[in-house]
Amino acid sequence: MAAEPESEEMPTSAGEGAGDGASIPDTESIDDEGYVIGSGRAGVVRQIDHDDFDPIGTLVLIAIYMAIVGAMWIFMYFVEFLGGDLTVIG
Amino acid sequence: MEIHRYEKIWLAGALLLIVGFIATISYGAVGAGIEMVDDDGGQIEPNAISDHPKFSEPGTYKTGENEYDVYVVAYQFAFDPGTSDPIRVPANSEVTFHITSRDVVHGFEIVGTNANTMAIPGQVATITVEFGEPTEYGLLCHEYCGSAHHAMEGSIQVVPQSQWNESMVVN
Repeated sequence: MAAEPESEEMPTSAGEGAGDGASIPDTESIDDEGYVIGSGRAGVVRQIDHDDFDPIGTLVLIAIYMAIVGAMWIFMYFVEFLGGDLTVIG
Repeated sequence: MEIHRYEKIWLAGALLLIVGFIATISYGAVGAGIEMVDDDGGQIEPNAISDHPKFSEPGTYKTGENEYDVYVVAYQFAFDPGTSDPIRVPANSEVTFHITSRDVVHGFEIVGTNANTMAIPGQVATITVEFGEPTEYGLLCHEYCGSAHHAMEGSIQVVPQSQWNESMVVN
């Protein structure tokens, strides 16, 4: 068996699409003893460019939060407060 | 420093919210004419309220055409007037409340409305509101003032103009 390199780098060059850097299992760290804390495989590294990181779920969550905050702000100030009775005018 | 494009989006969103909040408050003060309660009411000696020309006989005073002043003294655990006798004001009038306390800090809240202020011993709080149709409002203390704070309440009667008479005015 050929010796595994200590780290498998997969640079995202023009020929390789972002995000398709499939991890290659490091056979040396696979054993039958189950998972031992701190024993995660160190032999696989996937490198992507700065803007290839694509947390679309986080973006959608933040968009939902902002929509809720914006709607509550409109409702609480313009409907509940300004539409309320006996506003202090002096 | 390189900022991720998504991070730029939510940074811009957060800044938009802050600018929006400030613009909203500015609109409320300038466009909608909402006033903050300040110290314009002046100061008063809490032990000598009975020497004050108006607070010595609290109640509704007529100050102009459809304009009234209401002087209210808060104490543990009632409003005078308000609790034993309701505060009476005529409908469709502009009323300025002058509120002070003779013992501890109280609150003065017209229930279910935007009109409320603190009643601080030694300080007169003034708030002006416009009353519309005849109705009755509740009044309560919304600053903890002691063991019977929860029972400190009163009422405001907005009396129809046709039933309004000078006996409801103190002066």
